[in-house]
Amino acid sequence: MKLYLDNPEIAVNFEAVKAVLPGADQDRLNDRRRHAITSFSETGIPGPRLEQWKYTNLSFLAKENYPIAAKAEQSDEIRQYFDQSYITAIAGPVVVFVNGYFYPDLSSLPTEQGLDFSVFSQNPEAFYQSLQPSAGSSSLNNLNRALVTDGYDISIAADVTLSQPLQIIHIATSGTNMQSVRSRARIKFGQRSQATIIESFIGADDTRYWFHMVSDVILDRGATAAFAQFQVQGKKALHMTEFHSRLSDHARFNHVSLQLGAELDRSELINSFSGEDADISLSGAYLGRLKQSHDIVTRINHDQPHCRSRQLFRGVLDKGGKSAFQGKVVVARDAQKTNADQSNKTLLLDRGAVANAKPELLIYADDVKCSHGATVGEVDPDQLFYLRSRGLDEIAAKGLLTEAFVSEVFDDLEAGPVAEKFRKYTADWLRKEEMS
Amino acid sequence: MLEIKDLHATVAGKEILKGVNLVINAGETHAIMGPNGAGKSTLSYVICGREGYEVTAGSVIFKGKNLLAMTPDERAGAGLFLGFQYPVEIPGVSNMNFLRTAVNSQRRYRGQDNMAAGDFLKLVRLKAKELDMDPDMLKRPVNVGFSGGEKKRNEMVQMAVLDPVLAVLDETDSGLDIDALKIVAAGINRLRSPDKSILMITHYQRLLDYVVPDFVHVLAAGRIVKTGDKTLALQLEEKGYAGLNIAENAA
Repeated sequence: MKLYLDNPEIAVNFEAVKAVLPGADQDRLNDRRRHAITSFSETGIPGPRLEQWKYTNLSFLAKENYPIAAKAEQSDEIRQYFDQSYITAIAGPVVVFVNGYFYPDLSSLPTEQGLDFSVFSQNPEAFYQSLQPSAGSSSLNNLNRALVTDGYDISIAADVTLSQPLQIIHIATSGTNMQSVRSRARIKFGQRSQATIIESFIGADDTRYWFHMVSDVILDRGATAAFAQFQVQGKKALHMTEFHSRLSDHARFNHVSLQLGAELDRSELINSFSGEDADISLSGAYLGRLKQSHDIVTRINHDQPHCRSRQLFRGVLDKGGKSAFQGKVVVARDAQKTNADQSNKTLLLDRGAVANAKPELLIYADDVKCSHGATVGEVDPDQLFYLRSRGLDEIAAKGLLTEAFVSEVFDDLEAGPVAEKFRKYTADWLRKEEMS
Repeated sequence: MLEIKDLHATVAGKEILKGVNLVINAGETHAIMGPNGAGKSTLSYVICGREGYEVTAGSVIFKGKNLLAMTPDERAGAGLFLGFQYPVEIPGVSNMNFLRTAVNSQRRYRGQDNMAAGDFLKLVRLKAKELDMDPDMLKRPVNVGFSGGEKKRNEMVQMAVLDPVLAVLDETDSGLDIDALKIVAAGINRLRSPDKSILMITHYQRLLDYVVPDFVHVLAAGRIVKTGDKTLALQLEEKGYAGLNIAENAA
């Protein structure tokens, strides 16, 4: 049986658009795109028989084509998504991409000393670097390299601590129906540097667009990186992200995400250590209903001794919602004194919702501490009665309990605008439920 | 205030209440005692509408309304309060947030606007102080990590803030040391007024030394078998249920 699905149209379309892709005037960029489309075509679209893709069926991509979206004109729609996403309590620099293209009108680029920031469309060298092939790339990553229109490059110098978080907003407009929006990012944290990056993904409801993004993050010795991601895509969107991180000695990487948009949502977090005594923390909440599916795939490669990883994911599914959490931790033979912890709980608000949990721990070292826990359950009837006996109606009581369930993910966040944004999005989602 | 007539109820198909009759008038404080398994907690849960307790016959009228037709939250909105024997822990919900949501839910039920944030804060702080509760506990998740006594005290803070017209207190005295018992009893006594009523369910006479009831009932085998004044409780303490010809394990 075939593990990958063919869609010859994709390569044909590539030939048709290659001359108008950003950077098409540079041969070396074109070469890399060509190399990428060839690599992609050698495999194809990942099919449901691939173990990693068994919960997200992309068979439709063998038949449907998603040509590259066009640049958008200024519009109220864009402004509205921007206002919804930009955290004004933080203010500071913000970089906006609309339909996969840098959108200068609403952007205010960072100018801080020690921070080197550029968008690919204005930095051919960075664009070229970001399309560099890498061994073991996923087929969708190769497709992204072939067709990506823009993205960003960040390099933070050693010993620099950014004074303000950097906000990145990806918008897909209602003009992107049956089109694809692709982005990439390369982020390098110098030794002992520190920064927070807040990224939002937002787009039009009732528009079926395919958003795909690949991020590569490198942390040098002693660097501290914090990422907060808000996935609030339109209701019919396809949202797929691949987020790679690699940590050197004593580095700390913290990634917290909220997934509540899109019809098909696939988020991959792939992490590894290249040095000792480093920390990875991944946490996230996914909320789904009405034909929505969330597929969270995490991978932590403990190749080095004395490193720690912690994963905490909470899901809430209402009627029609589906989810999968696939968390893989691999501890290599020499990675002694590894400490890896993984927890995944999903709350079902409706018996018709489906939650899958697939923790995978492969441990080849003998002196390690690894744990995992996965549960799927309903609202506790004793808690529900307790709240109702105090006057909360059923919906309010369930809402409060659900918020509490999810809040564990955000409890570790420092109190402030980012934590508030997470809570507000969650509360709004739960309130919508009351009306449905 | 509350009129229970020939109440029969089953739990998981087993009949626990077998014809309870009880009238509580405004301003009265009643105590229900009885041996284990008599149906005391079942009675409190039926009054407050817990799922899984099926009423098979009889009626419960509260302030002229059919209580059994109301949801638990409607009952709370109508002025009913249940003090839990085992208060439930709710991780992730702060006591303060919980209380605010409860107060405003009940106010909405009564057609009132939300309480102003400042007024609410003042009220909660006052009640917590009256019940000698550490204000820090208001910020903590509901009952999480509280000792048995702290949980019971928290029930009393909730009662004081929600200010019900009828409080049903299920073994509120259990798990309290003598100092805490006095504080909790004072809290119950503060609620007493000509237009409010209290139904205390207790194993021991001890609480009744501090909250003196107008009536004492003995519930055994699903029925109220004896009613008297506070001296009945003293007799029970002295002679035991057997001494009053009440079967220990009649249910």
